[in-house]
Amino acid sequence: MNREEIRELAAVYALGGLDGEDRARFEALLHAGDAEATAALRDFESTLADLAAESAEAPPPSAKAHLMERIAAEGRREPPSAVVTPFRRRRALWPAVVAAAMAAGIAAIAVGLSISTSYEKRLDALAREAGALKAEIEREQQLLAMLSDPGTEIVALSGREPAPAARARMIWNAPVGGLLVAAGLPPAPAGKAYQLWAIVGKNPPVSAGVFTVDAKGTGSLRVAPLTGVGKVDVFAVTLEPAGGLPAPSGQMYLAGKS
Amino acid sequence: MPPAGARSDDAAALIARIAQGDREAFSRFYDAFARTTFGLIRRVLRDSGPAEEVLQEVFWQVWQDASQFDPRRGSPETWLLMRAKSRAIDRLRSIRRREKTFVMPVDESVAHAAQPWADEPAAAVEGRGLLESALAQLPAAQRRVIELAFFEGLTQSEIAARLGEPLGTVKTRARLGLERLRGVLGGGRLQAT
Repeated sequence: MNREEIRELAAVYALGGLDGEDRARFEALLHAGDAEATAALRDFESTLADLAAESAEAPPPSAKAHLMERIAAEGRREPPSAVVTPFRRRRALWPAVVAAAMAAGIAAIAVGLSISTSYEKRLDALAREAGALKAEIEREQQLLAMLSDPGTEIVALSGREPAPAARARMIWNAPVGGLLVAAGLPPAPAGKAYQLWAIVGKNPPVSAGVFTVDAKGTGSLRVAPLTGVGKVDVFAVTLEPAGGLPAPSGQMYLAGKS
Repeated sequence: MPPAGARSDDAAALIARIAQGDREAFSRFYDAFARTTFGLIRRVLRDSGPAEEVLQEVFWQVWQDASQFDPRRGSPETWLLMRAKSRAIDRLRSIRRREKTFVMPVDESVAHAAQPWADEPAAAVEGRGLLESALAQLPAAQRRVIELAFFEGLTQSEIAARLGEPLGTVKTRARLGLERLRGVLGGGRLQAT
């Protein structure tokens, strides 16, 4: 392989697009410690990192808060050994997904056997994909179960004065909890967040959680069952200090009767 | 911004401390790089819902895997951003697979119906201006290959098929594009190639 060819493989590898025979060849070079391949890859990756660094965007503060909490709570786990049991043995709701994941796994193993680093890398990627799929399946299973339950109601919330175009759906099942999906809300100002309230008759509103929206104005909130709350008459969303308050204080953005 | 070298050294020191389980170092590392990491993930996913999840995944893995960082392979920022890109692409692929096979879940269909991509507010796009203007300095054919691979997760074969070009052309454009980009961004040493 000449130098230019190595640099081409390194470029596509850095971009994440190297596949097939080329990928096996290039990974073999890296594995063998080939100086040209290693240097070219380092250069191209650093260029791409510089490119990526040109687009900075502040993440929501909740991201760091969650991470620091998780670190405090869980500490450091042993590095995950090759995850060979990505799916729990339970009803496979989506055989197609499982079959596709397994097929991808078999293919990955076939290719990876020749080079152990490539093998591990692929297993790693598969484990990540399997993890993401599993989370998705669980999330959608919950949603499906809820949607197919006759006790589930879907409440439409419409926009109020500050954001007349906003709208939301509350999928609610008292013993199970629910999901609020909102669109068209203005991003909450710094230090503020939206808070969802459940109102029963003339009782004071009960907080059902706080959420924020993304730059496009969409957001969602999983709601745990509200203990001691009977049949909810109204769901409403107000703008409150981040973290929420025990009772609403700000303007109402969304409301809907169940 | 401090010189890249100094910043990398600082970051490498932070990584070493994170590998020892130092939460304060992790917090500082996050503060230093969360914005660029989030920007990249958003650029790939174009939707901040899963972007925040991916960001947390990426930094959680930094916490877990800091001891695997090898300074000979590149700077901590490169290490971080390449991982972030891979996770974002993994997520993008799984979203695509799902959208192809299944009905979109309720929350996403609502969100999409209400706010098509075109409505993305200027503020969200503003931060990407520099990135776009760097890419804009590449010949269109090279830029396309870089975008399809890096931001959309297509492999070289998929790109060749989509563009109707030979595989060799795709690879050459990737190399020329990245070499040119390095000049544009002024990073690294320029090599006579």
